[in-house]
Amino acid sequence: MQHDVRKNRRDLMHRMWRHRHFYLFISPFFILFAVLGLYPLVFSFVLGFARWDGLTDIRWLGLANFENLIHDELFFTALWNTLIIGLLYIPPMFIGAFVFAVLLNASWLRMRGIFRAAFFLPSVTPMVVVAIVFSLLYGQEAGLLNYLIARVGAWLPGVEGKAVPWLVSEQWSKISVAILLVWRWTGYNMVLMLAGLQGISDEYYEAARIEGAGPLDRMRYITLPLMRPIFVFCSIMSLIGTVYMFDEVFVLTQGGPGTSSTNFGLYLFNTSFTDFKFGYASSMAYVVAAFVFVSSLTILRWRRASET
Amino acid sequence: MTAPSSRVSRYRVERAITRALAYAFLLALAIVFVFPFYWLAISAFKSKDAIFALPPQFIPQPWQLENFARVFRETNLVRAFFNSSIIAAGHCALALFLCSLAGYAFAKFPRAPGRNALFAFVLGTMMIPGAVTLIPVFVVLCKLHAVNTYWAMIVPGTASAFGIFWMRQYTAESVHNDLLDAARIDGCSEFGIYWRIVVPVIKPAMAALGILQLMNVWNNLMWAFIVLRTESMYTLPLVIYLLNGEHRTPFELIMAASLVATLPLVIGFLVFQRYFIRGITAGAVKG
Repeated sequence: MQHDVRKNRRDLMHRMWRHRHFYLFISPFFILFAVLGLYPLVFSFVLGFARWDGLTDIRWLGLANFENLIHDELFFTALWNTLIIGLLYIPPMFIGAFVFAVLLNASWLRMRGIFRAAFFLPSVTPMVVVAIVFSLLYGQEAGLLNYLIARVGAWLPGVEGKAVPWLVSEQWSKISVAILLVWRWTGYNMVLMLAGLQGISDEYYEAARIEGAGPLDRMRYITLPLMRPIFVFCSIMSLIGTVYMFDEVFVLTQGGPGTSSTNFGLYLFNTSFTDFKFGYASSMAYVVAAFVFVSSLTILRWRRASET
Repeated sequence: MTAPSSRVSRYRVERAITRALAYAFLLALAIVFVFPFYWLAISAFKSKDAIFALPPQFIPQPWQLENFARVFRETNLVRAFFNSSIIAAGHCALALFLCSLAGYAFAKFPRAPGRNALFAFVLGTMMIPGAVTLIPVFVVLCKLHAVNTYWAMIVPGTASAFGIFWMRQYTAESVHNDLLDAARIDGCSEFGIYWRIVVPVIKPAMAALGILQLMNVWNNLMWAFIVLRTESMYTLPLVIYLLNGEHRTPFELIMAASLVATLPLVIGFLVFQRYFIRGITAGAVKG
């Protein structure tokens, strides 16, 4: 027995040595992950039970951070705003991305490259620049959007043409952020969906056509089911993107007016790097990460459940 | 005889109308999507009064070319452009190298002990949100004296699980084992096989991953805000953000700087669009 175990171990060592290049080639990932992933993860978990400003000594608090979190109104406002912004922009973005992808995938379409570029270019633009241009367009008095609204109001009887307080009212700030997000991320999702559509074999459509299925049937029974993995991927990316979004609100509204557009990502950043409450921020990040994790698993379950 | 042909022609007419509507729809929305770029471009050539003029000017009057001369003279945009380029080049090169090397290893060493468990571990790390590790990563970089250096911008995010997954999928499908075996018999070193045989084949996937990484690093504001401390280290998004924040900078210069920061990726994407789409598609088909 003893002998066997030793022999197996030597055998394993031998096989590992034979594959030493495999371990060598993947080692950079694991080294970087240890320093910039695993250690931070543990450190941040520990910090969740402490008070620390980054300079003075760490003070242990037990569960106090989590108790404070329950009574933190701004935390819940930020989560609420995150939810509302997500509900405002994700459905139109998804539908738009899918419609664009289906049309751009049509074999008869010309100028495909031009359309694709037009829809995708917002995603390669620096967010700071996007926010500055949009704040120009959203301007209360001299903004182009309000100018157009006034012109339409002057032409069409019945349309009021009143200036919209895009960035200066608590009611509109979330909508303004959502419009910017639709503009910025529709093309990105379109490209992912386009890739998914091109992965669906033509044979399915051929067979369906021979069976006499119309375009709507083909969409319902072939395209939509086979696109589900891509939809799941896009949903999880959008969920994570919405919760941790920062640049967009930071530059366009600074979370205002008041706290009307402060989302979780901005609140986390402010708690960490404006107030330097590293401990409190860590406890908050962990709670929300757990929530995002559970939501992602739910989305994945939906995919599995439908595959049977 | 007339009935079928009239049905065919009705079908043709319907099809023509549908297609015309589709073109009109796409064209209208394409104009809406491109419009902010147009507004950015012309605002960069306007005077301050013209930017805020009512009615809005759709064509600058007059074209104010000196905005660009002034923005280069009065702000540290050139330095920021240089910093952004170094960081983007370093980040993309490192990310592509590490991800393709690890992706190749995971794809083509099927009998290495522990391969599946290690790959599952890599995928599992995708679930870790960056927000949780934001503070500790900053602390680690402080300890390593990397804050306010290029390294703080270049290294984090290079060995990404997503990138490794991406490269593994593509390598597994498009690199033939016979080719690798033949090279091995010819006495090519393992690294030589990667460099001379695998890399040339997986270039489309590398182009796609490279553009995604480039988008992230070139446009990143939050991390630059946290780790870059002195003006000589600032990147383009940070410089523009700070110019926009301090109200003494003329607005027309901010628009000119914005255009300068935007053009490289827009032009780069237009040039490499074909590669990028092909790479993304290949990754998704196999994924």
